[in-house]
Amino acid sequence: MTTETAGPLEASDSGPSSTGSRTTMILGIVTLLALGVLVLFGLILSPADENQGDAVRIMYVHVPSATLSYVGCFMTTIGSAVYLWRKSQWWDLVAYASAEVAALFTAFTLVTGMLWGRPTWGVFWVWDARLTSEAMLMLLLLGYLAVRGIAADYQVRAKRAAIVGLLLVPNVFIVRQSVQWWRTLHQKPTLTLAGAHIQGLMLFSLFTGFVAITLVFIWMVIHRFRVAWLEEQVNAEGLDVAIAERRAEGVVS
Amino acid sequence: MLHDAWLIARKDLKLEIRSRVALNQVVPFALLVLVLFAFALDPDRGLLEKATPGLYWIAVLFSGLLAMQRSFAVEAADGVTDALRLSGLAPAGIYLGKTLSVAVQLLVLEVLLGVGVAVLYGTSITGWLLLIATIVVATAGISTAGTLFGVVAAGLRVRETLLPLLLLPVLAPVLIGSTRAFEAALSGTPSEGWPWVGLMSVFAAVYVVAGIFGFGPLMEES
Amino acid sequence: MIAAFVVAAATGTWPYVAAAWAVVFGGMGIYALVTVLRGRRLSKNVPPEKRRWS
Repeated sequence: MTTETAGPLEASDSGPSSTGSRTTMILGIVTLLALGVLVLFGLILSPADENQGDAVRIMYVHVPSATLSYVGCFMTTIGSAVYLWRKSQWWDLVAYASAEVAALFTAFTLVTGMLWGRPTWGVFWVWDARLTSEAMLMLLLLGYLAVRGIAADYQVRAKRAAIVGLLLVPNVFIVRQSVQWWRTLHQKPTLTLAGAHIQGLMLFSLFTGFVAITLVFIWMVIHRFRVAWLEEQVNAEGLDVAIAERRAEGVVS
Repeated sequence: MLHDAWLIARKDLKLEIRSRVALNQVVPFALLVLVLFAFALDPDRGLLEKATPGLYWIAVLFSGLLAMQRSFAVEAADGVTDALRLSGLAPAGIYLGKTLSVAVQLLVLEVLLGVGVAVLYGTSITGWLLLIATIVVATAGISTAGTLFGVVAAGLRVRETLLPLLLLPVLAPVLIGSTRAFEAALSGTPSEGWPWVGLMSVFAAVYVVAGIFGFGPLMEES
Repeated sequence: MIAAFVVAAATGTWPYVAAAWAVVFGGMGIYALVTVLRGRRLSKNVPPEKRRWS
């Protein structure tokens, strides 16, 4: 996380030499401070829960990650819809960037969920409605990212990915509904993640988790969007032009 | 639009009947899956009969995937996709037609697999109304989603691996729903199965709408 | 459930807490680093007027 502040410092008059800008540098510093506060409250100041013990500290990163994975999915669907409607590359790349960051946060959610489950339930995985639907979300996102990775023209790739992205949120809803029914028709949901009585300092720690992880999410989506933008510029200009450009830059400086 | 759909469906089914690939390869594959399940699960312990709904729908999904792959392999060859685009048929009609032909092939597969599990697994079949309703809505769900994602993957070098990755997670609700509904029907408690039929109807409806509106942009590309 | 809590108390949950936080912070750090490095490499191939966030 320390790398993010280094980018803009090297920015010359001819534009930044990275995906950083003044805004993202400030955002990055604030994000690092927020992460520091999260460590302070989450790992040190917050008391252990009377039921879950210290495992409740996993919740401070788990719950915000889960929330933001869903936020990322919504952004992907919105971006895909606007792309199909207006054919604007900007929205297409918003969809792409947020899908990739959402996949990262979904992975965090799954791993931290399992690490929470082992000491609390005694097993890494239970076929709980939330865990299962989060795993399905991961698979749906991997499908979307697979379409983004196909070797084809930008138009083809973007359009096909937009159809998949558009259906992401409807799919998530239907999958969640089916998984919930699946688990509740046969047995009552005995285990919920929010089993702890979260209040006071613990509630505040969870709140700092939300703030810090949300800032990280925003920072990542902005930078990932800019990387995607640069990639499309390089693709559009063709490799040869890009190499010539780079050589010319080398001569000037 | 519906007339276009009918034309496309008739063309695809005629092609399927003449080439006999579905009959000679997909149907034997589906039966092979049933036999493989019997090898994997000990047939003497009654596991097969208990697991019939799940095994049946897994067999439908896997053999159905083959049928769907074919439905677009047929188009991708010889530049037929361009011919379709130039034919002036409504994209929504093309989508519905392809969906219809996939659905008909799936229905044939499902009937044959149904006979297969009844004979091979010794499953006694009860709750006909729910079984038929489940087959209808599940087939609608699989074919509407399969056709839409089939065209997303069509014409790409990675289509054989991309389609299952895209489609199978999306079809998870259909697999859960159809399996639970079959279980309810076979265990003589059909009232537990009907909510699943409703869920799968919603699924199919979402995909019909998405396909009708999404097929246009997908067809006019490149 | 009670047995699970006893087991949890006996073995201690801190290793799991540490692992979870390490995965999240490490993952965020690696992803941020990779993204920034990709951006820098690509920036060299794109004329400055196309980097519109400058």
